[in-house]
Amino acid sequence: MATHAHTADPDAPAVYEQFEDIDQQQETYILGMWSFLVTEIMFFGALFLIYSIYRWQYQGDFYIFHKELDYVLGGINTTVLLASSFSVALAVHYAQLKKKRQQLLALGFTLLCAFGFLIIKAIEYGKKFEHSKFPNDTFVWDAAKYGGDPEHARLFFSLYFSMTGLHGLHVLIGILVIGYLMYLIAKDHPVITDYVPTELVGLYWHFVDLVWIFLYPLFYLIPK
Amino acid sequence: MASTPHAHHVTPIPVLLRTFFLLLGLMLLTIFAAQAPYWFPGMFGWMIPYWPLTNAIALAIAIAKAVLVISIFMGVKYTTNLVKLYAIGGFVWFLLLYVMLVDYVSRPWEPVRGWEAVPSSGLPRSKESDGGVPYPQFPAPKGKDGHEAGSH
Amino acid sequence: MSAILERTAAPDPQVKKNYLNADHTLASWLLTTDHKRIAVLYLIGVTVMFFLGSLAAAFVRFELTSPRGQILTHETYNKMFTAHGVIMIFFFLIPAVPAVLGNFLIPMMIGARDLAFPRLNLASWYVWTISAVIVLTGLIMGGVDTGWTFYTPLSSLYSNTQVSLVLVGLFLSGFSSIMTGVNFIATIHKMRAPGMTWFKLPLYVWSHYATSVIIILGTPVVAITLFLVVLERTFRIGIFSPELGGDPVLFQHLFWFYSHPAVYIMVLPAMGVISEVITCFSRRQIFGYRFVAMSSMAIAAIGFLVWGHHMYVSSQSVLQGLIFSLLSFLVAVPSAIKVFNWSLTMWRGSVQFSTPMIYALAFIGLFVIGGLTGLYLAAIDTDVHLTGTYFIVAHFHYVMVGGAILAFLGGIHFWWPKMFGKMYNEFWGRLSAMVIFLGFNFTFFPQFILGYLGMPRRYHVYYFAPEWQFYHVASSLGSTILGIGFLMPAFYLTASLLRKDNVAPANPWGAKGLEWENASSPPVTLNFESQPIVTENPYNYDPIEDTNKVRREAGLPEIPREDPDKEVHH
Repeated sequence: MATHAHTADPDAPAVYEQFEDIDQQQETYILGMWSFLVTEIMFFGALFLIYSIYRWQYQGDFYIFHKELDYVLGGINTTVLLASSFSVALAVHYAQLKKKRQQLLALGFTLLCAFGFLIIKAIEYGKKFEHSKFPNDTFVWDAAKYGGDPEHARLFFSLYFSMTGLHGLHVLIGILVIGYLMYLIAKDHPVITDYVPTELVGLYWHFVDLVWIFLYPLFYLIPK
Repeated sequence: MASTPHAHHVTPIPVLLRTFFLLLGLMLLTIFAAQAPYWFPGMFGWMIPYWPLTNAIALAIAIAKAVLVISIFMGVKYTTNLVKLYAIGGFVWFLLLYVMLVDYVSRPWEPVRGWEAVPSSGLPRSKESDGGVPYPQFPAPKGKDGHEAGSH
Repeated sequence: MSAILERTAAPDPQVKKNYLNADHTLASWLLTTDHKRIAVLYLIGVTVMFFLGSLAAAFVRFELTSPRGQILTHETYNKMFTAHGVIMIFFFLIPAVPAVLGNFLIPMMIGARDLAFPRLNLASWYVWTISAVIVLTGLIMGGVDTGWTFYTPLSSLYSNTQVSLVLVGLFLSGFSSIMTGVNFIATIHKMRAPGMTWFKLPLYVWSHYATSVIIILGTPVVAITLFLVVLERTFRIGIFSPELGGDPVLFQHLFWFYSHPAVYIMVLPAMGVISEVITCFSRRQIFGYRFVAMSSMAIAAIGFLVWGHHMYVSSQSVLQGLIFSLLSFLVAVPSAIKVFNWSLTMWRGSVQFSTPMIYALAFIGLFVIGGLTGLYLAAIDTDVHLTGTYFIVAHFHYVMVGGAILAFLGGIHFWWPKMFGKMYNEFWGRLSAMVIFLGFNFTFFPQFILGYLGMPRRYHVYYFAPEWQFYHVASSLGSTILGIGFLMPAFYLTASLLRKDNVAPANPWGAKGLEWENASSPPVTLNFESQPIVTENPYNYDPIEDTNKVRREAGLPEIPREDPDKEVHH
């Protein structure tokens, strides 16, 4: 689609042909992103609801199962994600001030955090696979030793893997999106004269952080 | 339409930094709160179970963190009312899903006698274990597609 | 000039550039970001899916003409009605009005050059097409025997058919409709022409706004639910299967949390079409504009709170059943507001029985029958008798076919001149509308009786009650008439594109609205030659003036105006 610079100013952001001016374009993009985030809220929301129903029914059992998870690793991951969220907010800040180098650095740090998160997650998953805690046919729960109903254990780990897995998938998509954004910035693509692409990526990344903010206490910090 | 250079809200770095440290503090708080003991002494020497309170505290801290991320990092505090409406509306509608809990709360209330007797094997009930209620018997079809509906 | 000469004449240099003849290459269609071209792409896809779904329905109806079945085995019959349901619901009813007519009309009605995110719009068509191909592959390579509802644990543990593949396809098609919904919301909020305030929006746009809100709030829930079923089949995670510790009723809750509002995704845009058609062919201001607009929003909101009425016999608690029964009755109120307002719109109007109007009138009648029989099903005790019978089948076909499909056809006829710049044959249009109306009632009314007598749905034999054959044969005969009725538009609408002597003027119906008054037929690529500015209310029709125009031409005396508020003729 053809974009055309609206004013003679070469630094002015490009306005797509369906919009009147840059304000309308920016507001539309941010509204569109938020309505997409609403779908994401409902997407994860259904999983949180399923989790709540089973947790509400089997609170005691879930306490037993959650000891399989390492809350220190989870805490490190939370810190990593919060840091990445902060750096993405910084990137938006620098994008608005048109400071290209700092923006790239902030996004690079975010990317680093995202990879760090996935590596730690992989370590955690690896342990679960070792201990046959992945809910497929090899799933084992030693009820005699640890207590708790094996069927509920399967449920707990099903929920753990589907919710953190879906979250991990979002992190992976985030890595691709941030990487592409950095490529566009490095190439001085005309789209990047506007701060909004960075803002949209930021909104998405904050949402990923938001999901983890709820996942962490729900899975790693279950009270007795 | 003239496009004048428009001043967007630029969140200052100190605000972002403060939010970040507040979030870290809240995370430590939630880890600490989850290690609390199971029972705590109430009035008249009663022991009150702690876990509903611990759950509530963990959730409250998570919500506080979420509010910080949404309002400062995602900049909802500084945007248009429309975006605020969508941001809040999404979470309100998410809570609507919890109407389903009515079902789970009220299912045990039902005084349906005999449900306990149903074996929980998940296998279909046989006629013998069914309390003597026979399935209706129909004349078998002439086996058009090779399947007999019954052996009578 | 003779007709032959006209047809062999060189192309008229006066022919204006429009979105159809702007470019002729295949790539210009497949890579287009023009909302009008994407609407045409959707129209082709949706039509193909409609005829595939009808084919499955034809097998179902033929099978049921004999109490012992005709040609299909149990398994094939199960696969056949599942194919019918999956194709019709996910690939015809949900995208039909929003993705075809909505895509074409929303930017035009609000005076915008395009949707807010044109590339996202194209992506939604590709995702939809890919998902349709995946689902059709699944249906051909073995089929699915669970019914379109995919209830667990049958779908998650026991069914040996292509459930996973089809569910992945449906998951993708959900993303396609989310993309459309996000696009419409951003467009309607931010892209309105100067002067186009919320209460000057055509009601069609209001109903699509409500639909988009349902799409973005509901679709993700069913997407993740169906995805969990796929995971359950693949890894045997046990969220919905009692054998693995899960709860099958939870699946039904989550499934219907989307799938009941999905009914409103299908019927709300249809109601938007009806509001446009009724006002135009009654030459009347809509009665109670704000009530009709707000009833769309009310249906969207209340529609989310009634899903439990699908589960009265699914061991949800009695308390929840009571709550949902009450709320289900409540949703009848905004629907009734619409019906009453349409009826009053026609009152003292100058009603013309043109093709779209016949469809609209048929819609109102059939929607009332479908809606009122819905009340029987909202009441718990009658529902316990009627659930899982042909009464349900008849009820939702009255709402879906009699409502959504007739409105879709009415809308296609109404905006056909605008979309393609050609007039269709009015005689064939009216004839097919009446054949469809007749065939429809012939098909589905006997099913109400069958259901009341106790014929269960999804059975292909009824040798235990051979006296039902009369109703089944009646229904199958009616479906033949219905099928002929549906084939007729395919022929005469295609023929109208091939003919040269039926060029449509910009506004053949004398309709109000930016798409008729400010754009040519077919519109130019960016919709309007100049930015429209809105000053009037959307349905500013004048029935007396319109009648007098006809009477003046016929040499009859004019009807005097009685309304003192309006301009008086001396």
